[in-house]
Amino acid sequence: MSEATAGVADLDWRSRLAALPPGALALRIAVAVVVGFVAVWVSYKAYGDPRQFVIVGLNGLTLAGLYFVVASGFTLIFGLMRVVNMAHGSLYMLAGFFALELQTKLTGGEATSAFGSSEAGLGDWIIPLVVACLAVGVIGLVMQQVFLRWNQGQDLRQALITIAISIIIADQTLAHFGGIAESLAAPDSFPESVHLPFSDLTYPFFRIFVLLVAIALGLCLWAMIQRTRFGMIVRAGVDDRQMVSALGINIQLVFAAAFFLGATLAGLGGVLGGTMISVDKANDTQYLLISLIVVIIGGMGSLAGAAIGALALGLVDSFGDVYLPAGYTNYSILLIFGLLVLVLAVRPLGLFGRPA
Amino acid sequence: MNRSALTPERALWWGPALVLTLILVIAPLLFSDFYLSQVLTKALWLGIAAASLIFLAAYVGMVSLGQVALYGIAGFTMANLVEADGGSPIAWNPWLATLVGILAAVGAGLFFGAIASRSYGIYFLMITLAVAVLTYYFFGQVTQFSGFGGVNSVERPAIVSNPVTDPVNLFYIALLTSAAVYAFVRYLARTPFGLALQGVRDDPSRMRALGYNVPLLRMLAFGLGALIAAFAGIISVWWNTRISPGSIDLTRTIDVLVIAVIGGLFRLEGAWVGAFAFAALDNWTRGLDVVGQRFNTVIGVIFLVIVLLSPGGLMGIWQSITDFLGRRLAGKPPARPSAGARASDSPQPS
Amino acid sequence: MSVSSEGGRARFWALLAVLVLVFAATVAACGGDDEGDGEEAAPTDTGAESDGEATGEAIKIGVFANNEGAFAPFEGQTWGGAMLPLINRGATPVSGNSVDGVEGATIAGHPIEIVYGGSDSTPDKAVEEARRLVEQEQVDILVGPLSGSEGIAVAEYSKEQPGVTFVNGISGAQDTTLKVQSPNFFRFHNDGTQWTAGLGNYAYNELGWRNVVTIGDDYDFPYSQIAGFVAEFCSIGGNVTERLWPPLGEEDYSSYITQIPEDVDGFFMGVGGTGTVAFVKQYGQLRGNLADKIMGGIFMTDPVILEELGDQVVGVVTAGMTAADSQEPAYLEYTSQIESAYPDLAGTGSSVFFYGYYTAMEAIAQALEQVEGDLSDDHAAFREALAGLELEAPLGPIRLDENRQAIMDNFLQQIVADETGDGVPDVKTLETIPEVDQTFAGAFSPDTPSPDRENPACEEGTPPPWTDQGGGR
Repeated sequence: MSEATAGVADLDWRSRLAALPPGALALRIAVAVVVGFVAVWVSYKAYGDPRQFVIVGLNGLTLAGLYFVVASGFTLIFGLMRVVNMAHGSLYMLAGFFALELQTKLTGGEATSAFGSSEAGLGDWIIPLVVACLAVGVIGLVMQQVFLRWNQGQDLRQALITIAISIIIADQTLAHFGGIAESLAAPDSFPESVHLPFSDLTYPFFRIFVLLVAIALGLCLWAMIQRTRFGMIVRAGVDDRQMVSALGINIQLVFAAAFFLGATLAGLGGVLGGTMISVDKANDTQYLLISLIVVIIGGMGSLAGAAIGALALGLVDSFGDVYLPAGYTNYSILLIFGLLVLVLAVRPLGLFGRPA
Repeated sequence: MNRSALTPERALWWGPALVLTLILVIAPLLFSDFYLSQVLTKALWLGIAAASLIFLAAYVGMVSLGQVALYGIAGFTMANLVEADGGSPIAWNPWLATLVGILAAVGAGLFFGAIASRSYGIYFLMITLAVAVLTYYFFGQVTQFSGFGGVNSVERPAIVSNPVTDPVNLFYIALLTSAAVYAFVRYLARTPFGLALQGVRDDPSRMRALGYNVPLLRMLAFGLGALIAAFAGIISVWWNTRISPGSIDLTRTIDVLVIAVIGGLFRLEGAWVGAFAFAALDNWTRGLDVVGQRFNTVIGVIFLVIVLLSPGGLMGIWQSITDFLGRRLAGKPPARPSAGARASDSPQPS
Repeated sequence: MSVSSEGGRARFWALLAVLVLVFAATVAACGGDDEGDGEEAAPTDTGAESDGEATGEAIKIGVFANNEGAFAPFEGQTWGGAMLPLINRGATPVSGNSVDGVEGATIAGHPIEIVYGGSDSTPDKAVEEARRLVEQEQVDILVGPLSGSEGIAVAEYSKEQPGVTFVNGISGAQDTTLKVQSPNFFRFHNDGTQWTAGLGNYAYNELGWRNVVTIGDDYDFPYSQIAGFVAEFCSIGGNVTERLWPPLGEEDYSSYITQIPEDVDGFFMGVGGTGTVAFVKQYGQLRGNLADKIMGGIFMTDPVILEELGDQVVGVVTAGMTAADSQEPAYLEYTSQIESAYPDLAGTGSSVFFYGYYTAMEAIAQALEQVEGDLSDDHAAFREALAGLELEAPLGPIRLDENRQAIMDNFLQQIVADETGDGVPDVKTLETIPEVDQTFAGAFSPDTPSPDRENPACEEGTPPPWTDQGGGR
């Protein structure tokens, strides 16, 4: 290491750079300016076309609901086990295809018509939902038990393993699930659209349903983590895993349960998303990215962070497509990138993130 | 270690390396134009891309999935600035455009680096992956620079002959660039800067205590990684004569990761070893009925097996073999257990 | 990333064993389906039942469509289309899955060897695959690719390979032939622009639309489609007020639907194959019935997609190069041939994917028969035969212009309520527009800007001959 010590002298100018004031104030001012500008622009556009504002706002909120369902599973698994499940999007996609396949069987292929003439009974939607969630949950569990369990603590290796699994799932999905992008039929007892109060606007009912499910799920998860023994162990595990195992708690069982739950949530997202939007072979990349962004913004392992992150992403996503100047709406991806940069510049661990 | 002594281990390392290098140098005499271009040249630039990943992983401890996005930025910038079909209407001199493309990638690398350099380990991996996928969507959506169809028929500097009809020039360009990248990284590892980077890899807190600006070092390293990736991006555009979002999608990002892991994530040579294995496998399986259509499953399973069984990749396996044979030849008793697995444990390529 | 313990070693090997078994099982399972791909076809002693002796030199034909990506679901149809002309000439399908190819194919006494290829709708992959087929497999003739951006790239590549003849599969970007003009690249079907012929006229003169918005995925093929509509509709006085371009791969179109002004007369939809279903569903939920507001969308009449869309699209007017309701004897014969060769593909004969690859291979076969399989002198005679071919296709004659681009009939169609009893709405042809050429009465030429987000501009001009204003009726 003698060479390394010699290097220190050469690096003096770098340490001087380090001593510069961090510029935190300037950074905060810049962030405030950006946020203020966005607020003014959105208000201006909203004033110009309030009807559009309402619909686009609802689009954003309902998307955020879907994103939260998916990302909550991702963040749960990470928070407890430090496993970045790169196959999370693949599980989302698989659940969609499983449910679609099952629903087609149940209804004899009649229900998949895209329009409101849905002939799927409540059971034709609920049964695929439950079966797909459980199936994907079991796949997640097997993944964890067979491949990840004995690599505990080697987070990079675990991430690589889940990447390998996602490659295989993507290719096998291609081989076994044919057909064009379809969507699951919502139960026929659901109305197709609802009238929004105080206006003549209609809005898709199922999207609002997804938002409600997301809110209910958020509350349930919160209650579970705050109030149950399982939640207590999870919370303790997020803070200090060694300590938890030292207390004689069967941490492996908790890990297995959490992985199952996390995968099941990906599955729930897949079925909700498959009904609200569509089931497609590109879903895995899409929803992996969404899960990543939501937890990077919100902070890994934090449920509240996932909610805030999902909300931010959903709103930016849907307003960006509409409120950018005409001809430039295709730059909306830059807004998401900007959101990411903004958050990471101020809080490298995300809004609610804590150091591991 | 005594640098000059020719131990059997060393012979087993350098012998095959020399033979392989020699084969590469005279490759245009040995292989068909098609194989030269579609397997060897492709492997060389994929290897450069993987080398940028391995450089960051092995020397700075930053496993980045953003390298393909960075080479995409170099490639797209260059392709937009020269005469081409699609993208912007600017038509600069190809060399100038190449230079600007490389600078753009380095600039983007420094910028991403500034954002991500305060994140470590798996966070860093996630942030770079998010950036990579966002970059893919950016070029897919912004038709002013690319759009789904990409930029086609990109003009090349005169020295880069038509890669279809006359692939030899491009092969040597890729070979020389690979050699230069390899030599540069090996040299860099011994400079004070390189040693500081390795210090950051091993113990960031201690380096901070020693007065180093750790985020700055990591940012600069990421910029260097971007420079290496940029070479791969430029050569890939010359080789393809086009670049499109499909050239930098998640599959390609993972391909480069797979190459690095197959070769050996912590040995620089592994980049090209992995790339040759990958390109040859790709080409070979495509001709097979059964597995040809399911190439990605094959790659996924191989990747999984490597990650599970030999984290050191092919280089790790080879190291185990040479260690074993070397000891046998030298008549020494087996000393170290499972060197292949340990290669990744203590990444010390220099 | 270290191996945790020596105890872990045993687990490794157990795992490896499991993996190898799983992998072997997967391969075996796939092998069951894929046994005997087209590559086994036609050693000299097989086949030759109906077309005389297979005495000539073997001719290698590479066929590639998409086996990955958004269009992978249509691989069966494309291969069915490519294999049918060979089956009609005495070859036998290897299996019920068209992708497995045929055995014993001969044309004009020459055994035909089919080489399999597959791309993923990206231009990179298409060229890589074309190069593999041409340079490594050494095919004489290449059929493909499938998607718009792929076609331009492969046509450019074909210029580097003057010794090989390329016949387009079903990629529909206008530039592929109009701009690239490769001398050895042929396209025996209409491009995406030509497919819209008649729609602008119908919107303006029948529906009385004046202000229209277009919406289409942001890539080459919808550019071509929307360009055709804009050129025709604007040339006779219509006005396109806005063009919306959701990014390709977008499935949540709701934010774009809210951007369609509520007071426009209607909108033209050029959303691609996989987005059509999601778009129609989301439009219905947000804005109600779309049938009287929407026009276009070549994919709406695709049999597979129409089944998904169901009754919601009844009344929609669209156009395309196939007519599912045709009662021409040639077309009926063609559909029954499909049914007997590939029962699974019955009813897909009117899919552009099937028809495009069919016309490609049929043209190759007829031209090879004309020259008796003579591919000497860089295919000179063969190419001359192709260029001069008057292909009597099931849905009408096809001939080529000087850019080797098809001139053929286009069909203006309306989706009507189901009468055949299969639960899927029917397609009724309103009008046959004869011999649509690529230029739209001069609106497009090699010198006009390529169709893109802004081009062509909406301006009055020479109406195409099939419009009322152009003296069509």
